[in-house]
Amino acid sequence: MAATEGLWNTLTAPLIRQNPVTLQILGICSALAVTTSLDTALTMSISLTVVVVLAAGVISAIGRHIPASIRLIVQIIIIASMVIVIDQALQAWFFELSQRLSVFVSLIATNCIVLGRTESFSRSNPPLPSMVDALGSGLGYSLVLVAIGSCRELFGSGTLLGLQVFPLADQGGWFTPLSLMLLAPSAFFLLGGLVWAIRSLWPEQAEASEFPAHDLGEER
Amino acid sequence: MTRGLWDRETVALMLLAAAMPLVVTWLLATGTAGLVRLIFVLVAAGLWHLAFMLARAQPPSFSGAFTALAITVLAPVDLGLVPMLLGISFGVVAGELAFGGWGRNVVNPATVAITFLGFGFPAASWPDLPVQLGWSVAAVSAIGGVTGVMSWRVVAAAAVVLAAGCWGLALEMPVLTAAAVVLVLLVCDPVASAGTTLGRWLYGLLYGALVLLFAVGWDGAPPVQAAVSAALIASLAAPLLDEIAISLWLARRKRLG
Repeated sequence: MAATEGLWNTLTAPLIRQNPVTLQILGICSALAVTTSLDTALTMSISLTVVVVLAAGVISAIGRHIPASIRLIVQIIIIASMVIVIDQALQAWFFELSQRLSVFVSLIATNCIVLGRTESFSRSNPPLPSMVDALGSGLGYSLVLVAIGSCRELFGSGTLLGLQVFPLADQGGWFTPLSLMLLAPSAFFLLGGLVWAIRSLWPEQAEASEFPAHDLGEER
Repeated sequence: MTRGLWDRETVALMLLAAAMPLVVTWLLATGTAGLVRLIFVLVAAGLWHLAFMLARAQPPSFSGAFTALAITVLAPVDLGLVPMLLGISFGVVAGELAFGGWGRNVVNPATVAITFLGFGFPAASWPDLPVQLGWSVAAVSAIGGVTGVMSWRVVAAAAVVLAAGCWGLALEMPVLTAAAVVLVLLVCDPVASAGTTLGRWLYGLLYGALVLLFAVGWDGAPPVQAAVSAALIASLAAPLLDEIAISLWLARRKRLG
């Protein structure tokens, strides 16, 4: 029972409390690049989750046999092989989608979340907890991507997964698309706003102030 | 008042006073429609200042009125109510209040709001500034320069570059008007502009040079959009210009022993 509870904690902690994107600010590059529409965000989330879970399982299974001095090379080779498999599968069955994702699926190999989890957790833990931990991190990343992706698609073009949600103004509706949402800066603004909201609700996530403001007491 | 007359609010009020010639000229040119627009932006920006005062105990500032004035004059004109509110909210909150209020922001909130609206709704048309607005800028910069709330160095540097451009490239009147109005409303903001003496000269020169560059190389750009973009890039470069000025000063000190 205690073991199950531990696993459940490992799985749910990275969703908000230890979210890899909003707390640890990892994987930002891909999170910003693929969120112009929800379908690319979903594909990227699924690809990353599959890669991180499989890599965690494999690395944790052979962890004892990897010499410490070359462990990073071995880990990256394992991760990169998974990424190539996923990339090929996407190109085989979802060619159009893989064209829109361009290099970002291949770049999962360099994603900090994947290497971070394998290096810090999977290497020294048994396969099951490692895979659960990796799944939690993958889901935490997916949560942020899906939230930002749906926001950008909804307000940038009035659609969700390609289906029209808001009637567009130039087709007789009321919604004027906010073109900024389809440009890269909007992802920064949304992610910043999301981090701000989360840290206001869970103040323990906020970092200590680096430059404390001096006392303004007298001026008031 | 325990720290003297010149606190943040004095500067903000002086800026507002300096802007009065421009406000009057603009209201005479646009009439009731302009007044309604100005009041709408003032209320929207003021509500955010109020919200941050209640939520964070952040003292509201009269600079919000100056920001609102800049947005009213320079923002795209035929936007609906919701896009305008969105742009104002984004500019005022993410450009200024989230950083802790006026004085702690990195770029001018009005610049942020106008650029946001310009990129967010590229189909919206930009205002055509009346020519007499450009002449009122002379009065604004004179009052601002004499009271010290606007840096005369920034104004002088930008004026030199624009005059040179006028002579060499035959800049058209709308471009000059937009560049002048943006200069006093956005570029001369004491918070977002450079703070060192040399940095201010460089900042003004950079703004002027960017206006010239956009006038020559940006085909079909509305004059106001080009000038606001120049202001945004110049204010993003301002900390770098200050850094250069400070490094030069340190190097000279070291050489002199």
